[in-house]
Amino acid sequence: MRRMLRLHRIFVAQYMKNLMEYKVDFLTGAISFLIGQVVQIAFLGIIFSQIPNLVGWEFNEILFIYGFSLLPKGLDHLLFDNLWSVGYFIVRKGDFDKYLTRPINSLFYVICEKFCVDAFGELFIGLVLIVYSVIALKLTITWYMIPLFIIAVVFATLIYTSIKIATSAISFWTKASGHITHMFYMTNDFSKYPTTIYNKFVRTFITYVVPFAFTAFYPASFFLTGENPLFCIGGTVLASVVLFVISVCIWNRGIKAYESAGS
Amino acid sequence: MIYVNDLKKEFKKAIKEPGLKGSIKALFKPNNEIIKAVDGITFHVPKGEILGFIGPNGAGKSTVIKMLTGILTPTSGTCTINGYVPQKDRQKYVKEIGVVFGQRTQLWWDLALRETYSVLKEIYDVPDKEFKQRMAFLNEVLELDSFITSPVRTLSLGQRMRADIAASLLHNPKVLFLDEPTIGLDVVVKDNIRNAIQKINAEEGTTVILTTHDLSDIELLCNRIVMIDKGKKVFDGQINELKHEFGQMRDLQFELVDINNVAKLDYCEHFNATADDLQLSNEGVMVSVRFNSDVVSVEDMLSYTLSKVHVKDINLKDADIEEIIRRMYRQEVSIDEV
Ligand SMILES: Nc1ncnc2c1ncn2[C@@H]1O[C@H](COP(=O)(O)OP(=O)(O)O)[C@@H](O)[C@H]1O
Ligand SMILES: [Mg+2]
Repeated sequence: MRRMLRLHRIFVAQYMKNLMEYKVDFLTGAISFLIGQVVQIAFLGIIFSQIPNLVGWEFNEILFIYGFSLLPKGLDHLLFDNLWSVGYFIVRKGDFDKYLTRPINSLFYVICEKFCVDAFGELFIGLVLIVYSVIALKLTITWYMIPLFIIAVVFATLIYTSIKIATSAISFWTKASGHITHMFYMTNDFSKYPTTIYNKFVRTFITYVVPFAFTAFYPASFFLTGENPLFCIGGTVLASVVLFVISVCIWNRGIKAYESAGS
Repeated sequence: MIYVNDLKKEFKKAIKEPGLKGSIKALFKPNNEIIKAVDGITFHVPKGEILGFIGPNGAGKSTVIKMLTGILTPTSGTCTINGYVPQKDRQKYVKEIGVVFGQRTQLWWDLALRETYSVLKEIYDVPDKEFKQRMAFLNEVLELDSFITSPVRTLSLGQRMRADIAASLLHNPKVLFLDEPTIGLDVVVKDNIRNAIQKINAEEGTTVILTTHDLSDIELLCNRIVMIDKGKKVFDGQINELKHEFGQMRDLQFELVDINNVAKLDYCEHFNATADDLQLSNEGVMVSVRFNSDVVSVEDMLSYTLSKVHVKDINLKDADIEEIIRRMYRQEVSIDEV
């Protein structure tokens, strides 16, 4: 494990060095992301200027949920972004070969090879929204909220990552599965809003099938109301652990089916 | 050391009829063709041997290497190397092997070469002292010094190949797998790489398995060759056995005094030999006759030639292994039984 962390550090350091070479890329990426977020939040603001609340949640609470949703998403984006490449082209081109000929876990290797600093945009905005809404709502913070918050964010991140692991592993059979990952990933947009605004089907789907609701609304609602800790936080932990175990199994199976590419 | 037993690998390949209709049909009723890339190969390699894998394009050489290195899971059959089943004990197993694919690098595109080696040092847990010694040795035989600070993406093909080979040897593997290690390289770099392989083999007793198109690799490096064609083994043995079996080919080369005399030479007619046993080619006054000395004796060949034309210079030599192998492919003979 220590060896793995050391390796990760080397890759990150290297990546930062390269980044300095591609400063323009980074800046344009960050700016376009910021603009996108500002537009979305402004849009929420406009909606709430017309209606006082949304199924019982007021504007600042919605901002908190929205901000919370950006943290696990951002962390996953920061640390585990290379999984996208697995599904889109690494397997299809046969480049996965090299991850199998090194004496480290292939999943770990492929993950730690890349580090995506664009994600700092998401993390930054997420934190700003959370701090702003906590102040605006005059939420009282009790001491145990802090560790629970960290646990919720970590396991919520793992939900994102597990879904990416499982869907990108499909490419071991189908050669490419980036579009499948993309399809699943898109449903995370639902999680930014209270699940109660959706019909039963969508609600069930994002709670029990692809449990993105546990990456934002459920844990966030606990921090807002203090109600249902078992379901909101415990559910997040349980969902992410189950999903992670399943996705690692799929990954390991997939490796056996991997066909490389003719040269 | 390396035991391979009746190894097979099949690939499913979807046959799609052209057009939208074909696509839709393929979606509901996939029509799969099975490609037997490796079709029951058995061999054994003792420690310290350099084994050359040869065969035409698509014969299944790379697929065998990928199974031996644990990248592909065999459809059936077994391979054990150093007591490991590659697919089962992957992480432990790959610690003891080195792998190079000539067609694609395994190094990190953006990392400077020096840094690449420090990363590999971590990955393979090589102690400092050993690492230093090893780097010094590899530096010397592969001449890495001039580009060790450059990022991998900026290296030329020859530099990159040397870098890849050095990377595969850093942890002193027991077995080294090289898939087309000299493809596309110039003579100097080829030489350099062959040297390194030979040195590593002699000094560390490293077992080497390599595939190649370049038959001089085989002639200069390998103790033994395994030839495969269409996924099956067609020859397994020493090079001189192969030469002995098929090697009665000779090359007679001479320079004519008068270019118009070429027409006077009609070997096939005179010796009544087939094109397989006798071929004539000329470039201006330089003439070359390739013949099977079992069919036409060297003496007859010389006396016929000299009786027909005046020559300035004449030279007779053994046909190289390349020619022998070309003949084998053409005849598609199996000499498994010899
Ligand atoms: N990943 C793959 N998927 C489908 N067919 C493959 C794959 N890899 C190799 N093949 C097929 O298997 C056969 C053997 O290929 P290969 O082992 O690369 O040959 P060689 O290395 O001897 O040129 C070829 O017919 C090739 O098209
Ligand atoms: Mg090949």
